[in-house]
Amino acid sequence: MTGMHIGLEHYLFVSAALFCLGLLGVVLRRNLLVLYMGLELMLNASNLALVAFSRFLNHLNGQVMVFFIITVAAAEVAVGLALIVALYRKRQTAHVEDLASLKL
Amino acid sequence: MNASLLGPELVIVGLGLALLLLDLMVPPERRRWLGCVAAATVFALCTYFIAQSGRTGEVQTAFGGMYVLDGLAVYFKALFLLAGGVVLLLAVDWTDHAGHAVTEYFVLILFALAGMMLCASAHDFATLYVSLELVTVTFYVLTSYQRDHVASLEAGVKYLILGALSSAFLVYGIALCYGAAGTMSFTELASQSPALAGSKLFQLGMLLVLGGLAFKVALFPFQVWAPDVYEGSPAPTTAFLAVGSKAAGLVLMVRLFGSVLPDLTLKWEPLLMVISGVSILYGSLCAIPQRSLKRLMGYSSIANGGLLMMGLAAASKAGSAAILFYLAGYLFTVVCAFVVASVVVQRLGTDDLTALAGLHRRSPMLAASLTLSMVSLAGVPPLAGFFGKFVLIRALVEQGASFPGWYVLIAVALAGVVISFSYYFRVIKAIYWSGETAEAPPLVLSPLVQAALVLCLAGMLALGILPSFVWEAAVAAVAGLRL
Repeated sequence: MTGMHIGLEHYLFVSAALFCLGLLGVVLRRNLLVLYMGLELMLNASNLALVAFSRFLNHLNGQVMVFFIITVAAAEVAVGLALIVALYRKRQTAHVEDLASLKL
Repeated sequence: MNASLLGPELVIVGLGLALLLLDLMVPPERRRWLGCVAAATVFALCTYFIAQSGRTGEVQTAFGGMYVLDGLAVYFKALFLLAGGVVLLLAVDWTDHAGHAVTEYFVLILFALAGMMLCASAHDFATLYVSLELVTVTFYVLTSYQRDHVASLEAGVKYLILGALSSAFLVYGIALCYGAAGTMSFTELASQSPALAGSKLFQLGMLLVLGGLAFKVALFPFQVWAPDVYEGSPAPTTAFLAVGSKAAGLVLMVRLFGSVLPDLTLKWEPLLMVISGVSILYGSLCAIPQRSLKRLMGYSSIANGGLLMMGLAAASKAGSAAILFYLAGYLFTVVCAFVVASVVVQRLGTDDLTALAGLHRRSPMLAASLTLSMVSLAGVPPLAGFFGKFVLIRALVEQGASFPGWYVLIAVALAGVVISFSYYFRVIKAIYWSGETAEAPPLVLSPLVQAALVLCLAGMLALGILPSFVWEAAVAAVAGLRL
């Protein structure tokens, strides 16, 4: 059987692809919630890379770091969604173009 | 293992939690005293650290080297506490006028302060990330604190999206650095420094980490948030953002590039120089047409971030000491400007430069403070800003012999300083020479605002006239760097 071996580079490739997709989402999407999903995708790309490195280096630090990242990201999302909801109540919009009252 | 080193941070966090509990028992009209108690505690801790800064020789670590207390950490903790104390005084005055004293606002400032103090001691990518995020997430709430003001909410959302983007870069960078080095501990990274400087994967990782930190310092190309967020946020938040958050990013940069990875710094000198030069020019040129004082300070903050970055690009101990000294002067100067901005926005409802007309007749102290602060930012002797710019440029001249590119950066910095004269002096002109103004009632300042202004003015003058005390402390603080 010539089964393909899944190595570190495959994980890293998927992680880099996820990171770029998330970044594209942040740059191209105009809805704040969708934009926020892109940011989460970028964070999870880093988590995947950390776990893969941790596995292939035989070293647990990377996996511990992932727990910290998940916890901090949860706090960030809680604050972020609250902010977006507060903005929606005030302006009835969640679109980036409407965030234009602070301009020269 | 020496967990007692975290004492000051625990005091700050404990104080924050205690204030939240006391808030339930204290009647609303007395809540301003909670803010005063917080400010007094922060000032007391600050004097403790200033007294400590004399004995900088020893390096103590805790939690397996993840937390370090050395000269650099002590210097920056004193700086953060000083900024936090003055900002708390300003916050008490600000909440007085916002209607009712709000304890959560003081508590959030304390939590951000604790995060900054942890940043000063971070000695592992995990502590770096968690302490930096403690600062960032707290600032999301602080910037959008005026929920009934669209400008404040908008500033908060902009800070949120760009802050989360920069922390995503930071985390991915940490992942790549971990993969290349096999460790997150700064101690182990430092021992592999020469080999890591040659690794492509590690360099890519550090580039992303640098991006994450550049966001905090408001450096090109992560500077777009600064003007909007500075303009929209409440003035005490902006003051803390301009001083504390910027210094938190810088202490991590100085530690990473000065102490942990000196070989990479030497290799990246051109990159750091470009970031510095572009930030100076962008901030200075964009500040020229601004009409709002807070927005103008936002662009000025980008230019000052670039100036501070020159010290890092110099890759020398003199350059790092210059960063530390410049930040001390910058603290007093910028906080002073934002105290004035806070009072002006509260009483006059706008921070447009035209609203400053005749300020010297309405409140001589506000006008004098803002004038001195602008003069110091412009770099006129004998104020703090002059000596700060002088030591930064001197550090570059010392490097100049090795690589002519330094002279280009010096020329850019001097051009930035000359351009900055035009917009800083426009603020002064708006106060004193803006034509006839209608008779306006005098502005009475609260004792807290007067105390904050006197402290800032004293600091500005002291650092300008007698710089040796702080300069020697800064030199001693960077003695442990490996540049």
